[in-house]
Amino acid sequence: MSTLEKLRDRASTVVGLTGTASHQWRSRLINAGPVVALVVLIIVFAITSSVFLTGSNLATIGSQLSILLVLAVGMTFVILLGSIDLSSEGVMAASSLIFVLLASNDRNGNNFGWLAVGAGIGTGALFGLINGFFHTKFGIPSFMVTLGTGAIGLGVATVLFGGQPPRLMDGTLRRLGVASWFGVSALLYISLGVFVVALLIQKYTRVGRYGYVIGGDEGIASISGINIKKYKIGAFVISGTCAGLAGVMASAQLDVGDVNIGTGLLFTAISAVVVGGTILSGGRGGVLKTLIGSLIIVVLANGLILAGISPDVQIAVQSVVIVAAVAITSWPLRKRVRVVK
Amino acid sequence: MNTSASDDVSEPVNAEIEQPLLRVENLTKRFPGVVALDDVTMEVRPHEVVGLIGENGAGKSTLLNILSGLYAQDSGTLKVNGMQVTFKGPRDAAQAGIGMVHQEQSLINAVSVAENILLGIEAQSLTAGWYRWSSLNTRAQEQLDKIGSKISPTALVNTLTFAEKQMVEVAKALAVEEEYAGQPVIVLDEPTSVLESDDLETLFAEIDRLRKVASIVFVSHRLDEVLRVSDRVYVMKDGRCVAERDPKTVHIDDLYRLMVGKESSGQFYREDSQVAVRDAAPVLVTKGLTKEGCFVDVDLEVRPGEVLGIAGVQGSGREELSRVLFGADSYDAGQIWLSGKRKRFSSPFGAVRAGIGYVPIERRIEGVAQGMSVRENVLLADCRAVSRGPFLVPRLVNEMVHEWVSKLNIKTPNLDADVVNLSGGNQQKVILAKWLSSPRVKVLILDHPTRGLDVGAKEDVYSLIRELCERDMAIILLGDTLEEVISLSHRVVVMRDGSISASFEAAPGSKPMPVDLIKWMV
Amino acid sequence: MDGVTSMTEMTAMKSPDTTSRTWGSRLVAVLPLIVLVVLLAVVTMRQPSFLDIRSLQSLSISLAPILLLGIGQTFVVLTGGIDLSNAALTSLGTVLLAMWLPHFGFGAAVLMIGSLTFLGFLSGWVSATAQIPTFIVTLGAMGLWGGVGMVLTGASTVQIGDSYKAIAWVRDTLILQVPMPAVISVCLVFLVAALMSTLSSGRKFHAIGLAEQAVLMSGGSTFRLRCAAFALSGLFAGLAALVLTASQFSGAPHLADSLLLPVIAAIVVGGTAITGGSGGPIRTLVGASIVVVLRVGMNAVGVDTAYEQIVYGAVIILAVAVTIDRARIRVVK
Repeated sequence: MSTLEKLRDRASTVVGLTGTASHQWRSRLINAGPVVALVVLIIVFAITSSVFLTGSNLATIGSQLSILLVLAVGMTFVILLGSIDLSSEGVMAASSLIFVLLASNDRNGNNFGWLAVGAGIGTGALFGLINGFFHTKFGIPSFMVTLGTGAIGLGVATVLFGGQPPRLMDGTLRRLGVASWFGVSALLYISLGVFVVALLIQKYTRVGRYGYVIGGDEGIASISGINIKKYKIGAFVISGTCAGLAGVMASAQLDVGDVNIGTGLLFTAISAVVVGGTILSGGRGGVLKTLIGSLIIVVLANGLILAGISPDVQIAVQSVVIVAAVAITSWPLRKRVRVVK
Repeated sequence: MNTSASDDVSEPVNAEIEQPLLRVENLTKRFPGVVALDDVTMEVRPHEVVGLIGENGAGKSTLLNILSGLYAQDSGTLKVNGMQVTFKGPRDAAQAGIGMVHQEQSLINAVSVAENILLGIEAQSLTAGWYRWSSLNTRAQEQLDKIGSKISPTALVNTLTFAEKQMVEVAKALAVEEEYAGQPVIVLDEPTSVLESDDLETLFAEIDRLRKVASIVFVSHRLDEVLRVSDRVYVMKDGRCVAERDPKTVHIDDLYRLMVGKESSGQFYREDSQVAVRDAAPVLVTKGLTKEGCFVDVDLEVRPGEVLGIAGVQGSGREELSRVLFGADSYDAGQIWLSGKRKRFSSPFGAVRAGIGYVPIERRIEGVAQGMSVRENVLLADCRAVSRGPFLVPRLVNEMVHEWVSKLNIKTPNLDADVVNLSGGNQQKVILAKWLSSPRVKVLILDHPTRGLDVGAKEDVYSLIRELCERDMAIILLGDTLEEVISLSHRVVVMRDGSISASFEAAPGSKPMPVDLIKWMV
Repeated sequence: MDGVTSMTEMTAMKSPDTTSRTWGSRLVAVLPLIVLVVLLAVVTMRQPSFLDIRSLQSLSISLAPILLLGIGQTFVVLTGGIDLSNAALTSLGTVLLAMWLPHFGFGAAVLMIGSLTFLGFLSGWVSATAQIPTFIVTLGAMGLWGGVGMVLTGASTVQIGDSYKAIAWVRDTLILQVPMPAVISVCLVFLVAALMSTLSSGRKFHAIGLAEQAVLMSGGSTFRLRCAAFALSGLFAGLAALVLTASQFSGAPHLADSLLLPVIAAIVVGGTAITGGSGGPIRTLVGASIVVVLRVGMNAVGVDTAYEQIVYGAVIILAVAVTIDRARIRVVK
């Protein structure tokens, strides 16, 4: 064999890893991982707890899933770009207060009903727009911008809060928060609706498709003439809108507007996205994966509570899970001379 | 012997007078310190495959970048179908019917083949912002059919083999035809670098099929392949188009001679200062060094005071080899010995500690620390000589840096100046000062050290290299041009496709000719 | 020339406009100081008692933890990273200290600071080994330390009681009528600044922030330096925990969490670029002073503390927008 052929043989083993059957197996395994994990979890908890599969527990799982799913689905679009949105809790707080104070409540005479819902969601969209704008126009890293806007959101909520939570009095909206049809809560229907809409956006619109392109390789995207700024802003607007909706849903569920309405949900949402298989460096994943990830997180949380483990441990565990998932998926990319800030 | 384009352009093979699809006339492009393209005139006619060959630095990449709209030329014209065009960016080139298939893959892994092929031009398959997948897939299929590919437009790119991905790249280049009414020109830049023999045949068949609908420019350093597919071949050298040949009748030695061209005077490289290497144990030895996909079984040795030149074209593996020797990349098999001791570096940290220095090709990013002063840059590798304990002694620092600034003739307003303000040549000297100011450096690896330097700076570097040899520094040199490598080195090793193909002694007075080397390089 | 193959590289070859760069960077260095002076003037005019000894004393008590955390954060930000977990680490530190004081007396403080230094080091180690962004590692660390604190205390405050004597001096000692923690923090600022300009490795954090690739290719160990920066961040978080515990007479799981935003604001407003490479502890001192005066000033002017968060958030975004060195980053995520 000539040297050239020897070299090409060696190169083909490298090629083999990236293109042929072995790679297909690996990616199938990675894709199947979260689903398998979910099934395993369900089986384990069903065995270890007699309460796990009861109607009321499943309803609890369902309602916990609803708000998380909405948040995580929105977050997915941003993470696909390779960015992150740390403002969710602040946006939820602001939209919660704005929603309750505009709907019929015990503090003022407003009674805007569904318009108040729109305002709450719109607040989220506005924050998303601000996030996207400052990130793309000034080149501020997304974690920094969203850290700032999250604080602003919490601040706005605090100012509106005024020391005591305003209570939601609107009958229809309150009922929505607790209603359930065929054993499934109304909020879960809403969140599944959001999920379907997100899936459609992901598959059939530019905001969805270009997210993969920009997250995959921004240089290629730019050379192809794609307006990167526009679609990045779009992703942040989606994430913000979802956070706004989540705030409204949580307020309807709890009947109050509260600064702390979203506490702890940021980590949970990021965990759901990451565990589902959307990697933080962007370019891979999707809302379907996030649905699985959200299910895993909620089932895990529920099972652990049934087993008597404190929710504080949960946040600690989720944090470790986030870092571990990122470390594992980034492991193959390590190089000797590489700069990662 | 100096050859010019007009002397060697042969009679057109096809007597039909047709408007060329693409014609560049008197194209010139300069970068700081170098003329990348010098009055280049070439054309591509309908239904033909034009081969483009040339050594490193011949100007092929620059020409391709201008054709694909990434750069603008300084002077000269581009004509598509007889009409003059100006490209403001890659989109303009695509709209003029020029499709590039780059060396580096430019596909997005997580989306489908169809999305990649039509990236940026999906518009006609969208209704009010909504994707119509059947339309997108059909359009993509049209392009795939032109090369007879069986790949499905809905397949995700990350499930394809390397060769299949290349096909998608070709289809993507062909998609320019959608916006362009005439016959497109597809440029293939080193398409065969990492292809297995079966894939090669597929590629050649693809090219044959493509010929019916497009013209192709085939750029490669593999002369045998270029000659096999092309109808005409252009040879480039030093930024000029020096010849046009008919592959069926040309002799391969003729091509070698054309690629190499005239010789420079030995005086430029200070050949008279070259001293014979004293007989001492080698300072750096490699045995069986192998890195998958890059190089195989490399055995080298360098003695103190010796310049070992490594010649090779792109894809030869020499750049990867130099990085591996510095610990900047890992390797898969083989051994590295430094002063008789087996060494394993997990990063440049270990290599520098052991006494290896590296002057990188990417000077601005890896060589100098932009944003830091000249003084700080010189201290970047080793500041023990000017420290007492953990503290820097400013007086010693200034003395040392001043010494090197004057020794190397570095032009800088003062030691605090931001190194990014210095010219390329002076930056290079700062990098050299960094390594030379460290007493422990025994081996210096120079990766294209005179790239982008003006003549004066080049001469300074050559003198410095001679001096270093007298001081027993072992030098590994990856030269910019064959002449440079041959003149400066005591021994030259030629790499081709990842292994050493030949080795030459290069004592002054009995230097090999560039043409002797080129046949082992391509 | 072969090898130069893209538009971005070509534009990079043109030498940057450096005159505007030096003017810009001079402005960034001086502006925060001007802002501080103006702010002080405005607040004093509205409330002349602001410059009273008592008011200054309470100002210093607020300043110390923010400044200490700020110094620690400065090391990390200089390298181009960020430590989102240092406030949470301080919270954990107060818990550990409160728990250990009865057993070890003042040794508990040493133990706690040592532990926090190690935990900080861990964040740096994970980030450097796995080569993953510091913001995600420290985001996770933030949650982890919070959870650990909650579990250790059962979500309640740990009162100290008698063993407080061992650290009472931290709160009570006055140097020239100013509480000791503030004085020591300011001294530390100048000590660190002095070390940075005299030690041979003093500018290494800046180097990583400015040109990490070049440092790597010159044989520098960015791995060790990253770990060191985070270890220092942990160390200063420990010092902040000591001061906080002393002033609050207790330790609690989320005690210091709200300090994260003011600390980042202090860094950014002081003029240290979030991209790394420029700035230092003295700028952080100016920034921290601005933050503290702003906080107190808002009260004095009659602005509800509820607006604090909004101010921090807006200030951070604007300050980063102004100081970010766009020329050096090509792709921002």
